Amino acid sequence: MTMGTKILSIETHFPEKTLTNEQLSLEFGRWDPDKIESKVGIRQRHIAAKEETAGDMAALVGEKILQSYDKDKIDFLFFCTQSPDYFLPTTACILQNKLQLRTNIGAFDFNLGCSGYIYGLALAKAFINAKLAKSILLLTSETYSKHIHARDLANRTIFGDAATATILEYSDQENIFEFVFGTDGSGMNNLIVPNGCFRNAFDFNPTEITSESGDIYTKNNLIMNGPEIFNFTIASVPILFEQCLIKNNLDVDDLDFVIFHQANKYIIEYLRKKINIPPSKFYSNIIETGNTVSSTIPIALLDSINTKKVKTGDRILLCGFGVGYSWGAVIIEI
Amino acid sequence: MTKIEFIKEVAIHCELASDNLTINTMLKSIKGFDSFAVLSLIAFIDEFFNVKLTAKQIQELRDFASLIELIGENRFES
Repeated sequence: MTMGTKILSIETHFPEKTLTNEQLSLEFGRWDPDKIESKVGIRQRHIAAKEETAGDMAALVGEKILQSYDKDKIDFLFFCTQSPDYFLPTTACILQNKLQLRTNIGAFDFNLGCSGYIYGLALAKAFINAKLAKSILLLTSETYSKHIHARDLANRTIFGDAATATILEYSDQENIFEFVFGTDGSGMNNLIVPNGCFRNAFDFNPTEITSESGDIYTKNNLIMNGPEIFNFTIASVPILFEQCLIKNNLDVDDLDFVIFHQANKYIIEYLRKKINIPPSKFYSNIIETGNTVSSTIPIALLDSINTKKVKTGDRILLCGFGVGYSWGAVIIEI
Repeated sequence: MTKIEFIKEVAIHCELASDNLTINTMLKSIKGFDSFAVLSLIAFIDEFFNVKLTAKQIQELRDFASLIELIGENRFES
């Protein structure tokens, strides 16, 4: 009998507070709301409250997905975040307790950004195929907003906070096919929070830096070199897409749908045209959420299922790329 | 593509105010040359000339002439 893995269900959670383009426009007086929406495809993004952590959001989305699943079946918990609640203990251990999962299960965090969901699927497939687990809860949750300087319009425009939960189960048919991965740490400085860990301590009196476009940040904040991230993306993603098709011995015509990490509308539309993916097979929608890092792909996948763009049996290519640099792609069947 | 046509194309792709643009117009002085315009410029140069503009090169750009120099004078019709 074939041993395989299937995605059983997906849930999402967004913080209550929202930040609209109108609010940004009023606060900064630089860009009009329509220009923001037409360029990056975002009208609003959700922002975690001051006391609301990625772990809190992961617990809420975990509770939501477990309302319709026997929690005692979960035998591994993976938590993807770059905003853990503590240096230690591992947030996944805290989540095991908050979700009242069994204690005889495995749980760990892994630190990845926009490629994180692809890695989560790979881990789930590997653990199930290695008989280390039969039922996995994969959580993604990010609060990049907490890293962004209040006067950094560019990054406040792009990023939103969110969490997702995915349950993956053993199946007698393989629904998660071959993966392709990539890593290039030479791009580490192009998307980074320099201070706050052990390389550079948090600076309690940081120097403010003003970018050419007028955005302000310190080394305690998230710093993104937009042009270099864009260059990395347009150089690596077309190759990643092609390699994933080759590894799966498939052609674009064999795919029913393609979901890229929803970085922003401009980037993913440029990639779609460059790779020549038909618009009818391509997902692009971050209008109400913004770039939610490791959560964009599961949010898009759930939305495309709910809106009937994707139906049972469809083959979907998923592709994540960003901070690290780190990238990955896989083809799945729903 | 001539250099004049190139300047017009850049203005269209980057949604810049296109009045009175010349080869000596300083890019950063053009109304609308913001971070959105920079991404559009990278995309346009990648798509039409297969040339990658780095963040450092963009930072050091002066006028359209310096942009043309980066792409290569020989890529333009006289």
